Amino acid sequence: MIRWILFVLLVLYIVVPLLMPVIFSFSVFWQDILPQGFTLRWYEAILTRPANYEALLVSLTVAFGAVLLNLVITVPAAYALNRAGPGWGQRLREGAVILPLLFPPLVVGTALLQAFTRPPLALTGTIWMVIIAHAILGFPFMFRLVLAAFQTIDERTLSEAAASLGATFWQRMRYVLIPNVMPGILSGALLVFAISMGEFEVTSMVAGFTAQTLPLRLFQQIRNDMRIASAITAFLIYVSFLSFVLMTYLGARMRRLRA
Amino acid sequence: MSGHRGRGLGPSPCKRRSGMTVTLRGIRGNISQLLRLLSLEVLLLIPFILFVGLFEIYPILNMAYRSLFDLNGNFTLANYINAFTKPQFRFAIRNSLLFATAASLVGGIGGTFVAALAVRLPARWRNLLLSLYALPMTLSGLVVAFAFIVLLGRNGILNLLVRRAFGLPPTFYFNLYDWPGIVMVYAFFQIPLMTLSMSAVFENLDPNLIEAARNLGARSWQVWRYVVIPVLLPGFLAGMSIQFAGMMGAFGTVLALVGMAKNLLSLQIYSHSSESTYNLPQAGALAMVLITITGTALLLLSWSARRLARRGA
Repeated sequence: MIRWILFVLLVLYIVVPLLMPVIFSFSVFWQDILPQGFTLRWYEAILTRPANYEALLVSLTVAFGAVLLNLVITVPAAYALNRAGPGWGQRLREGAVILPLLFPPLVVGTALLQAFTRPPLALTGTIWMVIIAHAILGFPFMFRLVLAAFQTIDERTLSEAAASLGATFWQRMRYVLIPNVMPGILSGALLVFAISMGEFEVTSMVAGFTAQTLPLRLFQQIRNDMRIASAITAFLIYVSFLSFVLMTYLGARMRRLRA
Repeated sequence: MSGHRGRGLGPSPCKRRSGMTVTLRGIRGNISQLLRLLSLEVLLLIPFILFVGLFEIYPILNMAYRSLFDLNGNFTLANYINAFTKPQFRFAIRNSLLFATAASLVGGIGGTFVAALAVRLPARWRNLLLSLYALPMTLSGLVVAFAFIVLLGRNGILNLLVRRAFGLPPTFYFNLYDWPGIVMVYAFFQIPLMTLSMSAVFENLDPNLIEAARNLGARSWQVWRYVVIPVLLPGFLAGMSIQFAGMMGAFGTVLALVGMAKNLLSLQIYSHSSESTYNLPQAGALAMVLITITGTALLLLSWSARRLARRGA
């Protein structure tokens, strides 16, 4: 019994704070205990005010960019490192996990800011820098998921089986491996997307005026207009929530594959 | 038939060896297959190595190098001397250490508690709880700051409720904008993070082992001391190092809650690299101090976890 009471309390601990911006964003007025009225006006403001709408577009561009970049980097690296032996392979696998702990986003931001100020790579303040920064932040998460997918399907045995049937490397990739690790890749992509959409810390350091993302806009609005801020906050919560619903679904598919 | 068969020639460490060894092995046959395999796997790592090298390692080395110069480009150690002598920075380092320790402890203990409960739930509810606790991982610090301002700000819902219920004056409220409040908001990230790492650890705790210890006549405290804690502690320490490292670098939520009114090392780095007090070499030196602190903490925690794991085994 106590177990279930605690369970409910723990669910509420996450749900109640996240409901606050959502309720706020749909109400006309919320100064007292209960909110008053129902409106979609604050969401409308995201789409109709140019500054907000542009920030939304920038955020989506950056998130897709970070996902694409991570696909190119993570999938081949996870494949290669899954095959690498216990020596340097293990060290690289561990390194990929420890690196983000040792170099928190703040440090990466400070470092990126001063590394690419001159041509040929004058990236600071451009949207490219934001995409790269988000890709760095998302990389360890995606790498872990894709590596786990390769481990789960026992890639070596599968590859050997396919090779013994005469499949070339590309055929094995195209018809055997990629379809099998797809849930892992998609989960990783969703996670990178969600992280990128919400990222504020590094973005605020490396983005100039040209790459104002939605969270940067939210930061200004928290001081100016709580109601617009509530709609942006709620929107970011929906993005995270949807990503996680999809990831849970993909995770269940992964588990079924393993079984 | 691809180079895959070539693997059978030797265990994987062969890739580490020099070209000489590879050639010698090649003489025994299959040189082309082996080389093709080697180059393929190395080729596949190139995007990763280029990316991390160019956009993570190089910028940090560059930052470390530049932190040794002043704004006019003359060599100096002043940025580091400042970091440990200027009261502003000394307080920042002290506050960051205290804050990161407090937030890690809250997160570590809270998360362990949630994970301990989660493993006792039926699988369905456990998965629901764990999925829910994965959610904060991607949430922006601003989102959580906003949520708590509405809930617990000066005129937040909970403060209003408590004031109404007990007829208290408006000067009475839970202060979200001081250290306890800030730690509480960060707990919303830290507790779920710890829950995820500890639930994996708890699942490794074999109930048969506890049963066996009991049957052998171990008392309750002995079961904890010799069976449960040795299994849990390495995972707990690993979780704590993630917590501490994360908290040393955190600043988004604090910035949204109190601006620069609180003095943290992370906020100092932020303001020296992107706000009015712009001084990149100084920010770089402070960032190096931060990396050193985090690195030392990670080393200490992993060292003690390994020692404990050995002793526990």
